[in-house]
Amino acid sequence: MQRTTDITRPKTLEELLPSTLMARLDPLDLASRKVFYGKLKGERRSKKRGQSVEFADHRSYVSGDDIRHIDWNIFARLDTLFLKLFLEEEDLALHVVIDASASSDCGIPSKFAFMQRAAMAMGYVGLVNLNRVAATAMGEGAVQSSVRDLRGKRRVHDLARWMCSVEPGGSFSFREAAERIALSRRGKGIMLVFSDFFFKEGFETGLKLLKGRGYDVFCIQVLSPQEVEPDLVGDLRLRDVEDMDMAEITVSAPLLKRYKANLAAYCESLREFCARREMQLLTIRSDTPIESFILDSLRKRGVVK
Amino acid sequence: MTWLTPGIGLIAAAIAVPSLLILYFLKLRRRDVEISTTLLWRKAIQDLQANAPFQRLRRNLLLFLQLLVLGAALVAVAQPQSVTQRFETQRHIILIDRSASMSTTDVPDDRGGTISRLEQARRAAKAMVDELREGGVFSKDEADEAMVIAFDAGPQIVQQFTGDKARLRAAIDSITGAQTPTSIEATMAAAIAHLPKRLVEGQAIEGLTAGQPVTMHVFSDGRIPDATRAKPGPENRVEYHMIGTKAAGNVGITSLRAERSFDNPAQLTVYAGIENNEAMDRRVDAEIMVNGRVAGIKSVTVPGVKEDGPAPEGTAAPEALAKMPETWARPGVAGVAFSMEEAGAASIRVRLLSPGSGTMLEQDTFALDNEGFLAVPAAKRLSVAVVSSAGNPFLEAALSGLPLSRLSQFTPGTWEETLRRGKAGEFDVVVLDGWVPEADAAGNPLSPGRYLVLGELPRGASGIVRKGDGGVGVIIDWTRDHPAMKNLMLDDVQAGAMPVLEVSRELGATVLAKGDRGPAVVEMQTPAVRAIVVGFDVMKSTWPLRVSYVVFLAQAVQYLGDEGSVQETGRQSQPGREIRDRLPAGAQDVDVRKMPDGERTPLIAGADGSVIIGPLGTTGLYEVSWKGAAGPTDQIVSGRAVRLYAVNLNDSGESDVRAATRLPLASDVATASLKTRTEGVRRLWPWLLLGALLVLMVEWWVYNRKVYV
Repeated sequence: MQRTTDITRPKTLEELLPSTLMARLDPLDLASRKVFYGKLKGERRSKKRGQSVEFADHRSYVSGDDIRHIDWNIFARLDTLFLKLFLEEEDLALHVVIDASASSDCGIPSKFAFMQRAAMAMGYVGLVNLNRVAATAMGEGAVQSSVRDLRGKRRVHDLARWMCSVEPGGSFSFREAAERIALSRRGKGIMLVFSDFFFKEGFETGLKLLKGRGYDVFCIQVLSPQEVEPDLVGDLRLRDVEDMDMAEITVSAPLLKRYKANLAAYCESLREFCARREMQLLTIRSDTPIESFILDSLRKRGVVK
Repeated sequence: MTWLTPGIGLIAAAIAVPSLLILYFLKLRRRDVEISTTLLWRKAIQDLQANAPFQRLRRNLLLFLQLLVLGAALVAVAQPQSVTQRFETQRHIILIDRSASMSTTDVPDDRGGTISRLEQARRAAKAMVDELREGGVFSKDEADEAMVIAFDAGPQIVQQFTGDKARLRAAIDSITGAQTPTSIEATMAAAIAHLPKRLVEGQAIEGLTAGQPVTMHVFSDGRIPDATRAKPGPENRVEYHMIGTKAAGNVGITSLRAERSFDNPAQLTVYAGIENNEAMDRRVDAEIMVNGRVAGIKSVTVPGVKEDGPAPEGTAAPEALAKMPETWARPGVAGVAFSMEEAGAASIRVRLLSPGSGTMLEQDTFALDNEGFLAVPAAKRLSVAVVSSAGNPFLEAALSGLPLSRLSQFTPGTWEETLRRGKAGEFDVVVLDGWVPEADAAGNPLSPGRYLVLGELPRGASGIVRKGDGGVGVIIDWTRDHPAMKNLMLDDVQAGAMPVLEVSRELGATVLAKGDRGPAVVEMQTPAVRAIVVGFDVMKSTWPLRVSYVVFLAQAVQYLGDEGSVQETGRQSQPGREIRDRLPAGAQDVDVRKMPDGERTPLIAGADGSVIIGPLGTTGLYEVSWKGAAGPTDQIVSGRAVRLYAVNLNDSGESDVRAATRLPLASDVATASLKTRTEGVRRLWPWLLLGALLVLMVEWWVYNRKVYV
């Protein structure tokens, strides 16, 4: 919960995403509950009928259709012209959003470090599978920085460089950040939002905005172990690292009990909100290994396959 | 509660309480911790985190405990003290009356019924025991001690001095009621005897008690006739706890007597005296049962109490009465007499019944005196022998007028012949006129029997010795309560030759009448012989010409002929007292039992047949039986001689159950309202400091548990 004092941040791809992990991530691909229209030909099945080898449907021939797609076998049997329709394979847009506010740089291990690594790993999975990958860091001034339209394994280093360049700090308005992300993105696809979702203004408006354009949104709530099990003792003056708000407490068993009840209620309200809007929520502790996070937690949720 | 130094306490409070609160605010030096968000904490501490100082303090247990400690200390500084009622003395003697009148059931109960006075006395005594001080950690006083004595006709020490309240309560609970009259004089004496004696030069002095004075708590209804003779001691105090109500009503038999007609002994008359201490007249039926059969019922109206009368004799001494402002209302008295023909022995039972109902009296709080018993011996006419050397016309005339079964004249010669033939036992009384036989070889002056000796002195070891002739003399004094001498006027008796006699008490001789020269009439008693000896020559005196001569002869013959000494027509006693009587010589295997089916208790008869029966605790008829010769009035049942005795309360003082508000003692008057209490100061500050210490310990425990809400 306390601010992270160890500020050793990853500087290279290797530090961010060890090659051993990379090797384990290679077989994975992104999965979406929805099928989206893509922009470029990719490895993903598209809603569009297209030119892949995968048969989709028949329809009656109308004048102007490409006669190459006429199913001659049907014509021979029925004496009627039908067109064979094939599924189009397109790429998928993956948008990774991480919370780079000062509050995410708290906890041991740091929530931000976890988000950084997890986002990098997911971005890697996206790039390897020829998806269009974009990443945005919410931070000081709503959107601190972003990178977009990365495609192909070659761009892994670009993504890693950007990821390493993100420096957590300051505060932001989630609603504003979500609005800007929503306005700036193109197409549709999967959006992964890494944050603790502790926004004093509320998470509702922001999440609504992110969902608004039809993205398949996965919210990953990262909590530090100290937030889940506070290890505070005595008379304390708690200072919010973002807005410098003070809260004086005297730690006691009933107070801790009440805090935990509040935390559980908050997480539950977030989960309910997401469920109502067809978003998925995964609450994870920052001391969870990245490998098990992706290979176990995300796979179980169907984010990767 | 009062305060010794309230000002100092207030000043200290004015300084200390705000100081504690300020210190409490200052002492909270909180550690700064940066956290990701205060969002959840804010919700959790909404109440605690409010800025208002009193909200901050609102649920702070530690501060509350500290304030409690401080408060207790500050109150202790003000030195509070409570003023309590406490006994003036540390040693107490609890005297609980358990006499007959204490069985009166006139005390209202919590449950709407009534309880007996003894039960109420036990409860009051236990409540008093609860008031006794116990020695404490913070008290300089030692524990109070008490002793428990139950008393009726005499004292019974139930518990010696102890400070153990449980033992005192148990002792009080163990006291049971008796049917006996009340006496407190011996009780107080016994109580004082148990106090440590004052030592003067190493010697304990009777009557002087050492140590602190004691308080005697008398739990009684105040019906104690001898209270005015009771001496509680000069330094000791008496607290009288009145038990019962002043308005308690009772009708009861206070005297019972049976008489046989002088002329016709078969004619039996039974008199019952009935008293009523209620304000209203009471009508009751008196039923008499003779030998188990109802012999008659008479209705009698007993008048109510008479206002402003003098106190009954024996209830209180005149000097004590002078201290009593309350007027004594004398109980109303009525009598009833039953006459019947009953020649044989009769066991008589008299009961008071509700008018016309045949059931026991209603609205009567004291049941014990509603019945009485009498044992009347069989009617018997005496046979008398007159032994006269010269004949005595006055004596013969007087005796012939008595209702005797037989009157025989003997000369000394014929009498000695009768003696030799063993026929002397046929006569109940032998009158020896101017002649006495010679003493036998053992020195016995007379052969066994009853004698009236006129004008001569028995020979031998009779205890009466002639010292000389005194010439003319007069009788100047006589024992007026002796059965043979009562109702006599002997002032006008002059004797021509009054001998000078010397009487030896050791040999059982007592003087019945004294002349100007010494004893004139003497009673002589040995185990075998009872005789009344008139020392002067009656024929040479003026006595035969006086009425008193005939009366004396009649009474003396009746007295000598009567076997018992209890009462002439009924052997009666009161509960708690023993009966002294004499059985015929040679009585063996003597025992007593209560009629009709009590257990037999063996008695030991003396060589002369004298026995002490009892003390008999309860009212009723008692039967004494023995093996051996029967007396003239005794019955023979199953080969054993039987004699009956009656035990009745017959106590006007006990039957008058109105509780007295004052108890007049020899030295003082104890009133029910007077409490031997004094105001005691109890300092409370040590308790407060102890409380503060305890709270401090709780605070330390709380602090260590870190439960700081």
